[in-house]
Amino acid sequence: MNGLGTSMQEKLGVQPRKGLRLSDILVTVLVSLVLGVIYHFWGSVYNLLKPLFFEADELLYGMWFAAATLAYLLIRKPGVAIIAEVAAAHVEVLFGSGWGLTLLLYGVIQGLGAELVFAAFRYRSTSAWTLAFAGAGSAVGSMIMDFYYSYTDDLQAWMFFAKYGMRIFSGAIIAGLLMLLLAKALDRTGVTSLLRPASRKDYEALEDPRHV
Amino acid sequence: MSNAVVGLTPAQSAETSLEQAVCVEGLRLKYPGEDRLMFKDLSFSAARGEKVLLLGPSGCGKSTLLQVLSGMIPRATEVPMKCEVQRVPDSWGYVFQDPDTQFCMPYVDEELAFVLENLSVPREEMRERMQAALEEVGLDLDELHMPITHLSQGMKQRLALASALLLEPEVLFLDEPSALLDPEGREQIWSAVKAVSEGRTLIIVEHRIEEMAHYVDRVVLFSPEGEILGDGPPAVIFADYEQELKSYGIWYPGVWKDYARSPAGKELFAPIDGKDQVAGNRLPGDGGTLPDVLHREPVIRLGAFRGMRWNKPVISLPSAEVYPGDFIAVIGPNGAGKSSLLLSLMGLLRAEGTYELCGEKVIQGKRRKVRKERERKLRQIGFVFQNPELQFLTERIGDEVVYSLLVDQMPPEEAQMQADRCLERFGLKGMDGRHPYQLSTGQKRRLSVATAMARQPAVLLLDEPTFGQDARNTFAILEMCEQLRCTGTAILMVTHEMEIAQRAATHIWEIREGQLTSSMPSPRWSGGTESKRHTVAGVNGAADTPSVISAAHHHHTGVSS
Amino acid sequence: MNIWNPVRITWLHRANPVVKLGLIIGLFFMTVLTHNLDFVMYQAFVFTVCLLVLSGVKPWKMLLFLIPFLLAFISSSSSMMLFGKGDTIWWEWGLFRVSEESFYRGLHLGFKGIAFASEGLLLVTTTSSVDLFYSLMQKLRLAPKYAYSFMASIRLLPMVWEEYVIRRQALKVRGVLPIRGIRGIVSRAGLYVVPLLAQSIRRAHRVAAAMEAKQFDGDGAKSRTYYYPFRYSRYDLLVIGLLAAAACCAYIAAGYFPWFGIGDVRFD
Repeated sequence: MNGLGTSMQEKLGVQPRKGLRLSDILVTVLVSLVLGVIYHFWGSVYNLLKPLFFEADELLYGMWFAAATLAYLLIRKPGVAIIAEVAAAHVEVLFGSGWGLTLLLYGVIQGLGAELVFAAFRYRSTSAWTLAFAGAGSAVGSMIMDFYYSYTDDLQAWMFFAKYGMRIFSGAIIAGLLMLLLAKALDRTGVTSLLRPASRKDYEALEDPRHV
Repeated sequence: MSNAVVGLTPAQSAETSLEQAVCVEGLRLKYPGEDRLMFKDLSFSAARGEKVLLLGPSGCGKSTLLQVLSGMIPRATEVPMKCEVQRVPDSWGYVFQDPDTQFCMPYVDEELAFVLENLSVPREEMRERMQAALEEVGLDLDELHMPITHLSQGMKQRLALASALLLEPEVLFLDEPSALLDPEGREQIWSAVKAVSEGRTLIIVEHRIEEMAHYVDRVVLFSPEGEILGDGPPAVIFADYEQELKSYGIWYPGVWKDYARSPAGKELFAPIDGKDQVAGNRLPGDGGTLPDVLHREPVIRLGAFRGMRWNKPVISLPSAEVYPGDFIAVIGPNGAGKSSLLLSLMGLLRAEGTYELCGEKVIQGKRRKVRKERERKLRQIGFVFQNPELQFLTERIGDEVVYSLLVDQMPPEEAQMQADRCLERFGLKGMDGRHPYQLSTGQKRRLSVATAMARQPAVLLLDEPTFGQDARNTFAILEMCEQLRCTGTAILMVTHEMEIAQRAATHIWEIREGQLTSSMPSPRWSGGTESKRHTVAGVNGAADTPSVISAAHHHHTGVSS
Repeated sequence: MNIWNPVRITWLHRANPVVKLGLIIGLFFMTVLTHNLDFVMYQAFVFTVCLLVLSGVKPWKMLLFLIPFLLAFISSSSSMMLFGKGDTIWWEWGLFRVSEESFYRGLHLGFKGIAFASEGLLLVTTTSSVDLFYSLMQKLRLAPKYAYSFMASIRLLPMVWEEYVIRRQALKVRGVLPIRGIRGIVSRAGLYVVPLLAQSIRRAHRVAAAMEAKQFDGDGAKSRTYYYPFRYSRYDLLVIGLLAAAACCAYIAAGYFPWFGIGDVRFD
């Protein structure tokens, strides 16, 4: 056969392939849909905190950014954070949320907020700080949406800062750190190894003389 | 990627290999993170039209080889590999193991259309081709636009085969297509495969080979290290490698008979004299009997018992009793209510009627106090669900059993010691630190059974614990059940495996359409033409005696003599 | 597959999903850019009526789904009412300060919320996911790998629910040692989320492999044929006309029968 002596490794190039594969997208979307169901029910938990004191519910807001950071932690490729947030919002819309299609827009902006932070770290960092920043980034994204949607700039100044301070804090804790914990727990189960690209070392091991 | 395709397209030259449908030479492959190579310079080929069966222990790389032969690795799944020669067929179809994860669309027609769309088939031709494919696999649906969830698992696998046929494959790759099916579904998928195999190359990986062992032209046997051990016609391989087939847990024809002749099998299937009820509980080995006290009272007594789902009864038992040391096989068609029976005994479904457990009434009711009391009583029952992964609570195998014992308020040190002993018995010692999810499917199953058995429950309920398991694991699980049974635990096991019902169980309950239709002693319960203890009042009982059971009686005489 | 089970098929069901999507987005922007309290109130009213009529869902069922709207109404209006800026103070108590401006703005937000929700449900109740993604592929050239990922995941979602039910039962059977406090809540949540997500990841991965084994090319939208063709039809025009008329009605009503008559709620 025609020059098949060359190894698969050379043909494929050792670098992990760029871009999203079907399995990357499918995993992102399914995981986000599951989170989307949680998002949907999170609304009632959120309403529970409401009577505590006004805007205390903001402390739970970070849950709605969880898909972006979790998907990134699983797939670690550009674009998944946005896809994840849109997918999660899609479930809420499907379930007939009172927020309607606005949720999709919120999803895009929140995903973008996290995505920009990951991009700033060139999609390499999974440190706690990066994740916390990404969660906060989503919170800032949702804040920008709020400007257009609900005249938040007309809130009294102290209220404005209290509200969004809590939201950013919540984003950093729930979407950032908690999701990091969750991703680590998933790593321990071993299923995430399905999603990790092979390293150069793995390819080199094929040539290892010890195996000959 | 584009340059990779060059190597994967079917080799154009190939003077010698025109006859070969698939071929790989000098294959080296290593999963990321694993220490050793899965394949070390492996070569394999199959001629056009050949039907090849790949056999080997789980984890030997058969399924991986299938993916390499089809080009799925590395085209769709990135796994480091290299080879000297590779020939991927022009057209191929693939059927996977799990019926639930082969489809991306909700309806039958949409799923088949998905394949046709991929091939750019004009819309006008689609329906005709769908119907033809469904007909080929013997799937007769009233309507093409039918939700896939309404199909049985066996029908789903035939649908998967039909969608593979739409690709007009020259080679069919079948990756354990019958492993997760009940006997009926297994029968159907293999007859469908046989019907469509004319003129096609078949590369099959399978553990359950009763249905097609003698249909294939060639059997290739792999060692646990991923090397080819034997390669030849089925009769030759089966004769030469009998020992390997057994130790790899392959369901070859006659595996039950062979096991029954082995020392472990003799013990497990040892006949029980049902007339003399006390002697029914021989301890293995010493032939001793249990204290009589265990036999006076039934451990479960049911009267006009009904398990409810959404306020509708899904399982009714007019009356039934279970005694310590009983091993009851619960059989019946899919969706008849077998699992519902176990769930309602476990208190996971609301129940009505009389239910006595160990002589105490289990009171139904929603009030907190009643509920707490009921839950306390029901802790005397152990339960093993179908999917082991969903019952693990900890991240270490070692902690899994300890946890069960701690919940039962055992002091930590004692729990640790008992758990260690238990893990040793279940062949899981020495991997305490690993995550339960990282075990093989057989080990996961054993661990889940261990967590329930370690507590020494009065009753153990198991929902198809041998489903999808290889022969070795199946026997191992049955042996454990038998050990527990001998100490007086009553066992209720839902199963589709008639061999288990006839050989290992002491009694067989048959459930049809939410009713316990018959309750008979099994052939193992010798002298058990009728036993007064197990009677079903009312419902079409005796008239509806299932033929399987009378067959079992017939069979039994052969075994015990 | 439509989870809403419409009892009647209306024009809206027959219209092209892409047209509906565009139309709803148009209405959505109209609502966002409306700063007139009366107009927004009439929008909320008119589109709720449209929803009851055009969704084809039984009215009582639809009304049940309108309850979340009410929550959204209260939630978005109350905080603006109590904490909004404003000069004409009506009522003050501690940190709460209700001014005329903040009150109307709050009310405005509430109605906006209802209008958004009705507009969104107009699309959701009349369009199945499969239809939506099929037409997005055909009309808007959405790459098939995205469309099919969504459709496949939606198919897999009920399986995750079944597993959740089993997991809950399994935890009950195994008994769970009590841990209190935040740690307890987090570890309890983990007991559910980790196995369900682990199974989901594995499943999604398998489905992706099965799809690729069926020669799925995720990027090649050009040569792909489609089982469900989505063309534009007269229903599209009808629906555009109908909803545009509804919007006009709201606008005219706001002009002739103003309830509040305060004009722009931004008070600039």
